[in-house]
Amino acid sequence: MRKFLPPLIPFVVITLALEWMVRSGLVPSYLVPAPSAVLRALLDNREELAAAMTKTSAAALIGFALSTLAGVAIAVLLSSSRAIQRALYPYAVFFQTVPIIAIAPLLVIWFGYGMKTVVASAFIVSIFPVIANTLTGLLSTDPALRDLFRLYGASPAITLVKLRFPAALPQILTGLRVASGLAVIGAIVGEFIGGEGLGSVVDIARTQQRVDKVFAAVLLASALGLALFGLINLISALTLRRWHASEQLQ
Amino acid sequence: MLAACGKPAKSRLALNWKPDPQFGGFYAAPFQKHGLDVEILPGGAGTPTVQMIGAGSAEFGIVSADELVVARSRGNDVVALFAVFQNCPQGIMAHASRHLGSIGDVLKEGTLALQRGLPYARILEKKYGFDHVKVVPSPGGDISAFLRDEKFAQQCFVMSEPLQARHAGVDVKVFPVADVGYNPYTTVLATSGAQLKSDPGRAAAIVAAVRDGWRAYLDDPKPTNTRMHELNPSMDIAAFAEVAEAQKPFIETGDLGMMTAERWATLIGQLAELGDIPQSIQAQDCFRNM
Repeated sequence: MRKFLPPLIPFVVITLALEWMVRSGLVPSYLVPAPSAVLRALLDNREELAAAMTKTSAAALIGFALSTLAGVAIAVLLSSSRAIQRALYPYAVFFQTVPIIAIAPLLVIWFGYGMKTVVASAFIVSIFPVIANTLTGLLSTDPALRDLFRLYGASPAITLVKLRFPAALPQILTGLRVASGLAVIGAIVGEFIGGEGLGSVVDIARTQQRVDKVFAAVLLASALGLALFGLINLISALTLRRWHASEQLQ
Repeated sequence: MLAACGKPAKSRLALNWKPDPQFGGFYAAPFQKHGLDVEILPGGAGTPTVQMIGAGSAEFGIVSADELVVARSRGNDVVALFAVFQNCPQGIMAHASRHLGSIGDVLKEGTLALQRGLPYARILEKKYGFDHVKVVPSPGGDISAFLRDEKFAQQCFVMSEPLQARHAGVDVKVFPVADVGYNPYTTVLATSGAQLKSDPGRAAAIVAAVRDGWRAYLDDPKPTNTRMHELNPSMDIAAFAEVAEAQKPFIETGDLGMMTAERWATLIGQLAELGDIPQSIQAQDCFRNM
């Protein structure tokens, strides 16, 4: 209870304040919906929203999984030599700066309408933090430990698996935390263009001036982001608890 | 009526798309001559002009009639002042090679790109069902998917995308949405009820200037097209001229900009039938002819 109370207080305060502001007419309901109206929209449209949520979750998860695998693999490649890093890192940065909203229509041309486009969008926006953080982690192995491994004649592969990768885990997980939220955003943006899911619900509700439904869908998207974030935290706690300061203090 | 003392108050006019011929008369309007200082704010996909008017972030804006009625039902007091398109220029275009006879045929197979939230989309869904056609989000004014796929149909402005497609060498058949009986005023100048009440003179002056502007643009669109092309270089100047010509019959049907209570009442009935609004919205509250 003590753990949940601190975040609960601002939630309750903000929700009540918003409800009061809309009910008293301080803020018109066509600009900001009352929390009670959002809740009603959630309940009234539960089947439609649940189906949309399932689609968005699947696309965001697949995109996130792909960017985790590809991001870590690319970072390992980049960390293998200074020359490769110089040659390829600038192109990895490209992924961070690509305005997804601008290239999303092209994704439809490449991948067609539907799931593939949405996954691609989630992948593109979420891969960079994985690459950047994993690379930093792989490059900041304790020199003393690296010397030790060399002294004992460990191969580069063994050094990677037994030393550099585990030592980089805290940074990798930080990258995944950032990427998890971005994957959800990427999926929603992809859905604006490619159809289906919560993005499509938002698009339609916006056209109908249903702000309450827009917020209901946005709320579900946030819940999805939080769930992914929680999953990474769980993995982080399980893998780092024994040895890393970030998980021991709590 | 004219502001007697010094500079007139600034008015913002929010557009719901980039500068293009559907706004020609607004860019041609002699606002200064009518004692006005008007700043035109270009928009883009999804610019919420109706909410902007309600929130006061623009004194005037361009909306469509159905948007306005729905906004009113949500407590956003927005009033129409001048309807540019007397007949709705929305339509659905398909490849002519499919030899389709009606909108219903378009929905029998292939893909249809359409903003599903729009009332006419739901009227179509109700009337024909979307079971046999794959409905995908509208790509805005982009026709590349249409050009590549013969079974692809998309929503369009009947005087805009079909011309692009023909230029690209594809023969198209266009089905106006008005064919299914849905014909709201489009590209409608609107303001908030509060603004209209507090400064009716300014609204009247704007409408007079806009009417002059449309008269001038219909007679000679060239100078205004040049100016709009500078603001929106992605549309070439030949296309400006072509669209300006093609849209004329939708605009010039009688007195420019004037609206009738019957047309608003018909629209309210259709939206109420869709369940978007309560029947209690009053047609005469929706507009003010000036």
